[in-house]
Amino acid sequence: MKKPANYIFPLALIFAGGLLPVFLGAYPQAVARSVFTFMALAISWDMLLRSGQISFGIAGFFGLGSYTAIILSVRAGVAPVVAMLSAAAFAALVAFLLGFLVLRLRSTYFSITTLALGEIFKVIIHNWSSFTGGPEGLVLPQVVFGGKSSSLYWLSYAILLFAVGASVLFEKSKMHFSLTAIRNNEIAARTSGINIFANLLIAFTASSLIQGLVGGVHVMSYGFAMPDTAFDANYTLLPLAMALLGGIHSTWGPIIGALLLGVISEYLKLMIPYGHLLVYGLIIILVILFMPRGIYGLIKKERSKRNG
Amino acid sequence: MLKIQGLECGYGRMRVIEGVNLEVGAESVGLFGPNGAGKTTLIGAVMGINKPWGGSIEFDGKRIENTDTHFMARMGVALVPQERELFPGMSVDDNLMLGAAYIPHARDKSDEQLEKVFSLFPILRERRKQLAGTMSGGQQRMVAIARALMSNPKLLILDEPSLGLQPSIVAEVFEVLKELKKTVSILVTEQNVRESLRSIDRGYVLENGKIVIEDSAEGLKTNPYVLKSYLGL
Repeated sequence: MKKPANYIFPLALIFAGGLLPVFLGAYPQAVARSVFTFMALAISWDMLLRSGQISFGIAGFFGLGSYTAIILSVRAGVAPVVAMLSAAAFAALVAFLLGFLVLRLRSTYFSITTLALGEIFKVIIHNWSSFTGGPEGLVLPQVVFGGKSSSLYWLSYAILLFAVGASVLFEKSKMHFSLTAIRNNEIAARTSGINIFANLLIAFTASSLIQGLVGGVHVMSYGFAMPDTAFDANYTLLPLAMALLGGIHSTWGPIIGALLLGVISEYLKLMIPYGHLLVYGLIIILVILFMPRGIYGLIKKERSKRNG
Repeated sequence: MLKIQGLECGYGRMRVIEGVNLEVGAESVGLFGPNGAGKTTLIGAVMGINKPWGGSIEFDGKRIENTDTHFMARMGVALVPQERELFPGMSVDDNLMLGAAYIPHARDKSDEQLEKVFSLFPILRERRKQLAGTMSGGQQRMVAIARALMSNPKLLILDEPSLGLQPSIVAEVFEVLKELKKTVSILVTEQNVRESLRSIDRGYVLENGKIVIEDSAEGLKTNPYVLKSYLGL
């Protein structure tokens, strides 16, 4: 049985996160929003990774969500909340349909194909100028909440909590069993009665839904989208690095990783402009060499050692 | 229970199984043959792992060609694959529970079934918390068989259960199969004919994709071809 103490820490953390804008100025709030964005993406990436499938398509679905939201706002004038929810729904729908093709692939072939998907989305949006604004992109007449810093903070915090909730649901439900079994051994999973395709499709759709939602919220908060920024490779690479640093196959791992890398990179940006990426890369290499299970993996190992 | 008629099967353009007829009733049946005879392909066709080219497969009176593997498992056919196909990163307990978790008719009885499995393989009770991937080859084979049994199958299929195991463990595995056949139908492929003949009722010899001999265990033991080719006498 779980002790109540196991719930107190996460609940306190959630509460503290919500209170931050009361104490922090606009700049730290903006940093926090960026950290939350990447954190939610890192968590969504890990949700699929638990089945053993490495997706490089985060930026693709993020960008797809961004453009869904901004096109609906600019061309159809829908309410921001509708635009953001549509971003999630459209990314999920595209993932669901494409899942029938790409989820037949495994390992490197799956990864490369997801990378290509993102590029295909980008090329379509880049060239469909009359509808998408082409290379110059689209600009919103006004960002949500009139750009009020604390409101934008709470919005991105709510999205983060949604991603965390989805990930915890995956961890606590039978989904966890299915995905771990598929990652461990597909033949054994199939002969145990697990419908591999259905489980992968759910995981792929759910993780893409979160990525689309984060993209939609991001674009509504910043007010513009261009193919090169909405599909920036950093939206794939940074969440990946964060999850690896924090520890994969868990919810805590990506949270810890995103918090550390997000804050460190912001600090380094101020200390050594343009040099921060170098330090960033070094951290990632060192972690993978010496902490292959990430920080949370190390914590878990120490804890199980202490408990015998 | 299982009835295969005129089965044709292969990969790409290569025909591996050529018109095989095979039946398993409430009994234990052996399928013998050298490497490359098509034993694993035949089992794969039954389990829906590879698609048959022609012929028919019936289980409990229902046609099952092209049924997905996970449905076969839920229908009551459990497979112990040739390689030690288990979940190496999970504990023995989790491996076993996974065997029952997705099978509707086994889920509710999993505690009962777990006791049965532990009485067959007492070592697994001692190793419940150990990661399956860190166990010895023989123990992993036991986990794989135990996991299959957790699904409370009507038909248990084992693909070369003796492969790569030391003789004492092989004998133990076949002792267990002898015990099991009282309650579940068994189809077992083997190259180790000598050991397995003691635990089966009937057997087939498969060579180059065709059944060349079909006989009772007693008949196979005295068949001159089997004696010469498989028992080295």
